[in-house]
Amino acid sequence: MRQISLLLVLLTGWSAASAYPEFQRFSQEHGGQPINCAMCHASGDGPEGAGRGQIGSLTPDELNRLNAARGAFAAGVLVESPILNEFGNKIIYQIGKTRFLELRAHPEQLADAYGFASDLDVDGIPDAQEYLDGTHPLNEVHGNPWRLFLHNLAAYKLHVFMLALATAAGLWGLSHLLFGLAQRTRASAANHNSN
Amino acid sequence: MRNSPAQSVFDFITSRLPLYKLNMKDMVTEKEVPVHRMSWGYYLGGLALFFFGIQVLTGMMLLFYYEPTVSEAHESVEYITHFVTMGALIRNMHAWSASFMIFCVIAHMLTALAMKAFAKPREMTWIAGVLLVMVTFAFGFTGYLLPWNQIAVNATKVGLASIDQVGQYLPDALSHLAEEVRVTIQGAPAIGQATLSRFFALHVVILPLIVSGILGLHLLSVQLHGMSQGVEDKPKRKEKFFPFFILKDFKEWGIAFLILFVLALCLPFDSLFPYPLLEPYNALGSTPDGIKPEWYFFFVYYPMEMLPFWVIIVVMTIATLGLFAAPWIFRNSSHKTMRWIASAVAGYMIIMTLFGEQIYHAVKG
Repeated sequence: MRQISLLLVLLTGWSAASAYPEFQRFSQEHGGQPINCAMCHASGDGPEGAGRGQIGSLTPDELNRLNAARGAFAAGVLVESPILNEFGNKIIYQIGKTRFLELRAHPEQLADAYGFASDLDVDGIPDAQEYLDGTHPLNEVHGNPWRLFLHNLAAYKLHVFMLALATAAGLWGLSHLLFGLAQRTRASAANHNSN
Repeated sequence: MRNSPAQSVFDFITSRLPLYKLNMKDMVTEKEVPVHRMSWGYYLGGLALFFFGIQVLTGMMLLFYYEPTVSEAHESVEYITHFVTMGALIRNMHAWSASFMIFCVIAHMLTALAMKAFAKPREMTWIAGVLLVMVTFAFGFTGYLLPWNQIAVNATKVGLASIDQVGQYLPDALSHLAEEVRVTIQGAPAIGQATLSRFFALHVVILPLIVSGILGLHLLSVQLHGMSQGVEDKPKRKEKFFPFFILKDFKEWGIAFLILFVLALCLPFDSLFPYPLLEPYNALGSTPDGIKPEWYFFFVYYPMEMLPFWVIIVVMTIATLGLFAAPWIFRNSSHKTMRWIASAVAGYMIIMTLFGEQIYHAVKG
């Protein structure tokens, strides 16, 4: 079955299925940290190979979905390519395959073309910004540390306020308890001495 | 008349552990703490203890879900982070407080050095403290492997490989010893399930048992002797340990908890690493870029990358022996000298931690 899958892929155009390193290179340089294919692909090693989420392991049904995704030249076509992750598929949906291929020469324009409205992992940082930062757009605990901090602080401000209040109240109570104990200890020591 | 050796040992121990002070008057009601310009140093040990407590509590919570097997470890950590209620918060608190604890332990040791707090009769307190620093580093090293992701396994490999390098400097008959030590720690010739099992056992059972014994001795001797004078001249002012000093300690713990909670809630520890390093370890895949140990090992990691290994061995051996023998080596040194030495060590550690990578690139080109 695997051999048939590979043959089908070869027949339908291997080059069209390979990863596009221009985007990876740009994101890595712009974000200042190493990234891999897992930003847009199902496998961190890219689409080529026989591992999970790679072409060599696809079933006939998955190959059909791959071919359908390859044919999504215009924007607005829902695709479910098995070699792409949710972000990769959404890029094709947002801008279409034709525009995507055009942007290979201008990977810095991908963020604007994709738009800053989508936030697939709901971490408060738009997918396009995560592409620029070189962080993972599908992992809610991964993002630019400062942006994540500010977003989460705003989201949890009530929790933080309540905790600060509880801590202050706890310390206020504790100080009274300790001073009370100290007073009592002194009094009992004075009684002991006078007796 | 000279005392017998047994009597001398007995005298040494009783003067270092004056158990007759184990009463309310000496340990609570009459106890005083010197107040001077370096008094802030007295709070660092308490802060380290506080973060250790957080480590124990959050570590126990993580134990309910963590699976120490190479096939499940990474998945279980992901499960804790993404699916367990407040799992991400607990895991982040564990990770952040580990770093804070190590910072406080190092700072506590350096301030104790600067304040000459190891001087007679506090030698045992100091030695127990140095041992605690080492156990804390061992906690960090063993805990780093447990998520079984790319950075965890590859950084552990680098750390363990450095043991092998020691072998080349040993006499021929002993040269195999380093490799045997490495394999013993690793549990197998290559890093794998045996390594994870051993590191897990060390991290959650053996090291906590060791630390509770040494910490007990350290805290007992601190309480029996009280705080050291800390500065050259006798401090003009003192404050009651109970309730004033202890209350300040608790207030600092409250603030520390607040900071820790906000960080754990708002800043996931994983966000500080490139995401390819957080993927499950793949023994057949290539090593991703950016593998390095935790920040608290930078002071030894970057010199190791730049200098011949024998230099590191010599310096580390001298430094370790020097730390243990500090009460005797610096017996007659002034507080001012000690402050200079502690500042130089602190300066080196800060520079290597913050700029070690840049220095490495500048040197290696």
